[in-house]
Amino acid sequence: MNGKFMEFMSKRMIACDQASYLISLRQDQPIGCRKEMQLRMHLLTCHLCRKYFRHVKQLEQLVDQYREAPGAKTPAFQLPEDKSTEIRRAIDEASNVK
Amino acid sequence: MERYGDYLFNYAIVRVTDADVAADLVQETFLSALKSLDRFEGRSSERTWLTAILKRKIFDSYRKQYQSRSVSTGEREMDISDEDYYKQAAPFRGHWIQGKGPHTHSLLPEGELEQEELMEIIRRCISLLPENLATVFVMRMMDETESEEICKELGITPSNLWVMLHRARLRMRECLENKWLT
Repeated sequence: MNGKFMEFMSKRMIACDQASYLISLRQDQPIGCRKEMQLRMHLLTCHLCRKYFRHVKQLEQLVDQYREAPGAKTPAFQLPEDKSTEIRRAIDEASNVK
Repeated sequence: MERYGDYLFNYAIVRVTDADVAADLVQETFLSALKSLDRFEGRSSERTWLTAILKRKIFDSYRKQYQSRSVSTGEREMDISDEDYYKQAAPFRGHWIQGKGPHTHSLLPEGELEQEELMEIIRRCISLLPENLATVFVMRMMDETESEEICKELGITPSNLWVMLHRARLRMRECLENKWLT
């Protein structure tokens, strides 16, 4: 009984590499009941992957913050002055050719 | 140019992360726009029109960047079990390599972080990614491109994309964790 139970479990247990892959995957799409269960089982026993789970969500938060930043009222970046001049000159030249 | 230069530059810089490349893309956008000025029918605003052109340019640059690197992408790199992060030998096959797994409680910085500092760190971390991972990470996370579109643009399968995103996240997480600590 115990042997069979261990065999049953070991077939379904996943290691950290699989678990962290699933953590990443479920950020992008649903991973299905079976995989979700396997992940939850792994997280119960692994403190590193629990941290990883949290960190991946926080990474997403930071990236959101990063992405939204320059869209705010004041542009965070300015086109460098010399590049602006270069573009202006290129536009002038192109318009003259036309 | 005066009106939209900075706007377009900001749009580009979060997506390509390299300021010089972003500035060049803005320049190309203006020149393309000028060439096709007669096709602009005023159905959308000038800004929307210019942004659409810029977006096309950014996608072209992703594709170029990806193709120039993908030659070196071997089968091994498509494996879920990234050998830089997980033990490859039994009996601990698939476990985190000591020191490569997460060790801090939170990835968020302690205290308020200046916006500029965050931008700087994230850009640094992206620039440290292998180039093909950087491309998919930026397309998916910065540009929020749909996965089908990324696969189509780069000519990769969805499973390639998921593995690459996973590998990019492993590295981004590690980089951010180390940056806050120093």
